[in-house]
This record gives sequence, structure tokens and C-alpha cells, in this order.
Amino acid sequence: MEPPQAISLMLSNVETIPGHSVVSSLGLVTGSTVRAKHIGKDIFAGLKNIVGGELKAYTELLNESRNEALQRMMADANSRGANAIVNVRFATSNVAAGASELFCYGTAVVIQ
Amino acid sequence: MDSELVFILTYIALPLVFTLGFPVFSWAIGRWYQSRLMNVLNVQEKQQSAAIGGQLTGSTSNKMTSLTAQSSVLLHTSIVVGPSMGQMFFMWIKSIFGGQLHSYDIVTQYGRREVVRRLQEQATQLGCSSIVNLRIETSTISFAKNQDSKTSSLEFLAYATGIRN
Repeated sequence: MEPPQAISLMLSNVETIPGHSVVSSLGLVTGSTVRAKHIGKDIFAGLKNIVGGELKAYTELLNESRNEALQRMMADANSRGANAIVNVRFATSNVAAGASELFCYGTAVVIQ
Repeated sequence: MDSELVFILTYIALPLVFTLGFPVFSWAIGRWYQSRLMNVLNVQEKQQSAAIGGQLTGSTSNKMTSLTAQSSVLLHTSIVVGPSMGQMFFMWIKSIFGGQLHSYDIVTQYGRREVVRRLQEQATQLGCSSIVNLRIETSTISFAKNQDSKTSSLEFLAYATGIRN
């Protein structure tokens, strides 16, 4: 399931890749991951809730998951033969009480 | 007279102290901790704006910047923040009457400013001279087992395209 090595494509959330010109568009690519909490981290976050502020364990968890969603999107684009993704958007939703879905989508393009 | 005092202490005062003691303690310590975080953030924001000399950060996709750019990179960063339990408790009381929830104001303001600051930090680390098309998204995270749990937190996600000139 895990990709053998990290795929690196050029990403941007504007309509073009700045400094390059778009040759052809290959359609919408998506990547998503659903993450549940880690019980140990949850207990620590509960303790942190006494004072409030940043919950570092969750920040790390979500950053990791979002990177994985990006990786999946890039794998999708790579399989179509794209070398860049433009107009990348992120969305987060609560799918269940203990889990949230991190979703990203963009348009796969070939650039020069 | 004496037994009446004992009665009042055990059946009225002690339960009150036990139920209100923790929220008040949590509220007080949370206010102190969060104001300290805000002070640190103010200092860091000033240092950063001095270091990068008013780096271009915009929420528009700047066509002119894109034309002269050498390369670009997608920046994304997120932060999870939550109010303290005491603040949640007092907000719950406040929500009976409505009105402005000052505690939540502080939490959201801190989260948004901090996430933008981190994005700018990431941009300078990657050698970007300007940031275009900045988007900030907010979502509620409840990693709790049941819905009526007192813990709730907010996630702020900022993403943008960094331009290298």
C-alpha cells in the first residue's frame, strides 16, 4: 500500500506553475486519508486542555496525514503521466466521532 | 448552631468548591498561559517582519509575480488549538444568555496568526521571496469518543504558493 519512494511533483495552488507554462491538462486528481486519534496522544491532549493553547500531538498527527494525502494525490497524477498539479485545494471533514478525513484535490497538468 | 455550620459546609460549600474549583483554576491558568503565548507571538511576528522586510503575503493569485518567478513551491501548515476546560465551562454558561465569547476570540485569533506566521517561516526556510494565493481554512476536530465530551479543538490550515525569484 505504501509508495516505495516519495514522488515529487511540482505543486501550486494558483492556476499555473509560476515560471513554467502548462502544455496539457489531464483532469482532476484526488488524494485522501482518514485518521483516527492515538489513545496515548489523546490522554496527553486531554491534560493539555487544562490550560488550552496549541495541542502539538494533534498538529503533528494532522500534518503527517495531510502529507500522506498529498502523496496519494501525487501518485494518482504520476500514474497519469503528469509532472505538476495546479490549483491544489485542501478540505477537512469529520467523518466519525473519533476520526477526521483529510482530502486534497487538484488538476494534473503537463508543464514545460 | 455548630451543627448547622457543619451542615452548610458539607452539603453546600464543599460541593460548590469541588464543582467550581476546577473550572475556575483551569480558567485562570488558561488565561495566564494564553496571554503569555500571545506575547511570545507578538514578539516573533515583529522579529519576522523585521527579518524579511515586509515579505509579500497576499490572498490573490498575483499574475505579475508569477511572470517573473523562477520556481514555486506549495506551502502548507496547520495548527490545532483548543480553549481550556475552564473557558469551555464558562462559555457553556455564557451560551445561555448569548453574546460575545471573548475566550474563543483569543483562541481563534491566536491560531490564525500563529499559522500564518509559521507559513511565512516555512517560506523563508525554502527561500521564497513572496507568498501568493494564501488560503486559511478552519475545521473542528473532535477526537473524543462520545459527542458530549467537554474537549473540543479547532484546526487552522493555511496553504499558499511560495514564489522564488
